[in-house]
Amino acid sequence: MIEVIETAPLNSVQDLGRVGMRKFGMSPAGGMDRLALAIANAVLGNPRGAAAIEFQMFPVRLRILADTGIAVTGADCNARLDGRVLPPWWAIPARAGQVLELEGVTKGVRGYMGVAGGIDVPIILGSRSTSLRDGFGGLDGRALAAGDVLRSAELVAIASRDAQGFGVQPPSVALAFGTAGPRETLLRVIPAAEYPQFDDASQTSFWNAGWTITPRSNRQGYQLAGAAPLLRTEALEMRSHAIVPGTIQVPPSGQPIIQLADANSAGGYPKIGVVIDADLWRIAQAAPGQILRFVECDVKTARAAARDVATYLSEVERLSSYVWSRRAA
Amino acid sequence: MNTGVVELAAPRVSLCGDAALLLDAEGSLSLPTQQRIWTLSEEVLQWPEVVDTQPGMNSLLVVLDPIKSDPEGVATRLLDAWLRTDSGRPAGRLLEVGVVYGGEWGMDLPEVARILGMTIESVAQLHASTEYTVFAPGVGPGYGYLFGLDPKLFTPRRQVPVMRPADSSIAIGGAQSNLRGPRMPKKPDMVATGWYSVGRATDVPVPFDFSRQPPNLLSLGDRIRFRIERIDA
Repeated sequence: MIEVIETAPLNSVQDLGRVGMRKFGMSPAGGMDRLALAIANAVLGNPRGAAAIEFQMFPVRLRILADTGIAVTGADCNARLDGRVLPPWWAIPARAGQVLELEGVTKGVRGYMGVAGGIDVPIILGSRSTSLRDGFGGLDGRALAAGDVLRSAELVAIASRDAQGFGVQPPSVALAFGTAGPRETLLRVIPAAEYPQFDDASQTSFWNAGWTITPRSNRQGYQLAGAAPLLRTEALEMRSHAIVPGTIQVPPSGQPIIQLADANSAGGYPKIGVVIDADLWRIAQAAPGQILRFVECDVKTARAAARDVATYLSEVERLSSYVWSRRAA
Repeated sequence: MNTGVVELAAPRVSLCGDAALLLDAEGSLSLPTQQRIWTLSEEVLQWPEVVDTQPGMNSLLVVLDPIKSDPEGVATRLLDAWLRTDSGRPAGRLLEVGVVYGGEWGMDLPEVARILGMTIESVAQLHASTEYTVFAPGVGPGYGYLFGLDPKLFTPRRQVPVMRPADSSIAIGGAQSNLRGPRMPKKPDMVATGWYSVGRATDVPVPFDFSRQPPNLLSLGDRIRFRIERIDA
């Protein structure tokens, strides 16, 4: 059990998302950085899809109420357990009474905290994710607040062979590709149905220009700003169609929007491209003011990237199985 | 500016990244074509590499497992399946909704009338003269995308979104019209939209409620009829 002593807004319980509910027009919600969330679980021996806490805003202070194991992944958020520094991407046994503090980010945007057994909130329509958009799931459809007590899904104490815990190589290192500038993030993108409708100059600048993440960027989507607007040769009205997270739409302003976890499940703007599944986590860790660069990609490369992510995650799970031993609490 | 709607001569399947495909049906919006989309949606959901499906207006999104599937292979099978999918389905149930057109909540009715060169009365009467069918799930849980707007009422969406009431509104956007459910707790009063608010439903039921089984009031193929209660200038 974990008690929230203090939290900034917009931090919530998330899992890998609510899949299979598109018949209700529901977008998946779930962790923005699903890879960091899966690792927060994997390093504790939890199923990948167990619920964890997503931190978007800081500071946060949590009190551990019963012995357990915890992990902090995703953004480097200056985590301290009873004042002792926890390195990023780290899992460690935690004792009743200890206090975990997350001061703020030095790298990345969103932090994830896994708990042995996973966070226990009711499963609604197949998922424990909070839909902040529609106000259900997680903790009664809302963000964490001071005084909340979160339970673990199973009562397990976890013993590590090493009381200092252990860490894993972050995905930004393990899954690095290409050469990005200091405040840049590369995203591999497959052109979408309306790509050919954009004029040559727009197609060229889509790939070659840097796109700044504006402050109007959140779990619903990131609004980007670039030098020149992206224009279509003919402004045909689109019919409403379903969209997936990662879809890059171009509204009449010509400045693209990347739709993300809490986006509308459908829309009517033209799609110039879609970020590949294996790179969605990179968006979640890119902050307003930073620059996104789109790299053209095909299905073959995307599948290889998806396999690299799967291999990396399996390796983390294999390592973690050597570290922990479980016993009934 | 050309604001015609894209219409394809032949069906097309395009990639939405590596984990989804979009089938766009040929021709214009019609009930028989949309019925084929619903049937295909249910069939494809049984395919092992398919994670979820979502009909759109004249389209079907197919979400894939990026590890298990070969999107280009599934695209070919999807197009084949579309060509042999039949239409034909019994008519769904009918919901009647009372509407006050214009006034404070239908503040865009005069603008729509001006754009179309009609009186506000004739816009309201034409809007309420046809039956609307739930064609596709909406942007979130709700009444979904409706088909049935008279072509004479087509009004291109605004280039710059405006703030409009979020609850119980009836709006026109492009070739479509929609209905929003009543005010819900924890939801904003106003939303940014490129659609025109033309009226307010006076006693619209909650479209999505977890205490019901299933939670959605209307399903694909169900129908809505708007009844004029009043037309306010």
